[in-house]
Amino acid sequence: MDILLIGFLIGCAFGAILFLGGATSYRKILGTLLLRDMTIIKLMCTAIGVGTLGVYLLDFGGMANMSIKPAYIWGIAAGGAIFGVGWAVSGYCPGTCVVGTSEGKLDALFTLLGALAGAFLFSLAFPWLDAWLIQNANFGKLTLEEVVGIQGIYLAIPFSLALLGLAFFVLKDRYGN
Amino acid sequence: MSDEPVISWKAAGIALGLLLTLATFLVKPLGVSTQFVVTDAVVAHEIAPAFAEGNTYLSRYGEKTDWGVGYGWMLVFGMLVGGGLTAMLLREKQPEQDKGSMPQMWVENFGASRMKRFSAAFLGGVLLLFGARLAGGCTSGHMISGISQLAVGSFVFGVVTFAVAILTAKLLYRGW
Repeated sequence: MDILLIGFLIGCAFGAILFLGGATSYRKILGTLLLRDMTIIKLMCTAIGVGTLGVYLLDFGGMANMSIKPAYIWGIAAGGAIFGVGWAVSGYCPGTCVVGTSEGKLDALFTLLGALAGAFLFSLAFPWLDAWLIQNANFGKLTLEEVVGIQGIYLAIPFSLALLGLAFFVLKDRYGN
Repeated sequence: MSDEPVISWKAAGIALGLLLTLATFLVKPLGVSTQFVVTDAVVAHEIAPAFAEGNTYLSRYGEKTDWGVGYGWMLVFGMLVGGGLTAMLLREKQPEQDKGSMPQMWVENFGASRMKRFSAAFLGGVLLLFGARLAGGCTSGHMISGISQLAVGSFVFGVVTFAVAILTAKLLYRGW
């Protein structure tokens, strides 16, 4: 099958899951960030739990097309902090603002337009930020597998179980206190 | 009418984990934020090609030969179509409070000004993508896909992002 079609179909499923699971809900996102409504964090822990197990089972069978992002600590920490403010202010992330827009939510459309502007601003600041925050303290495509020195699947199984346990048994909504 | 999303977090989380596994098997893990740069680059190549070629970041994307529209861009385009179609078909099942452009929580805390909500949404969007491109990924690429691959940088992104987002939300909703 054509790779563009595969991308399109995976995207369709991704968009549908985000809508159906309530990830485009401002109430649910802010509820999670205010540590009251755990729906979204439980959804993410479950997704990562299942995903880690799935990816490393594929890897164990030599069938995973991994794509590890380089670990440049300062740039990732600074970018993550800026991203965190934008997430709490808009109530969307880059994926959910796309889906929110498709639902006809105008605030999601404004976040999408802001995101296009933010990417453009970054392209102007890139040469300076690259030298300062991306090339420094860059450990390359580092995974826990290399840090710990055992095969990934043996880390993935306990990590995955811990995340699923967190989602299913530990995290509870806390309204009214 | 239920206040809860159309499907449970369990169903959505398991489906998303399986989708990530399928994507990693077929092509590569999920990611979104790069495609905002690709879109900018395609537009820039169209209206100001000299500027686009001179910009070290944009010139990596949206090359004239393929316009940068590949697997990843089609994935994000699919999110728009798949999310939109599902929303259209199942609108009745979506909780009332999650519909529309003015979240009830926002109105209670910041007032009913559409201008104010949309300005905040735009500003939030600017920060989201500036931060995501600096960090090299977003909620999908770093948090979901990156942590699932046990990537060290993605753990750093997850921890910092959640800590700062929680602090910001607590500050915005003081007294809630």
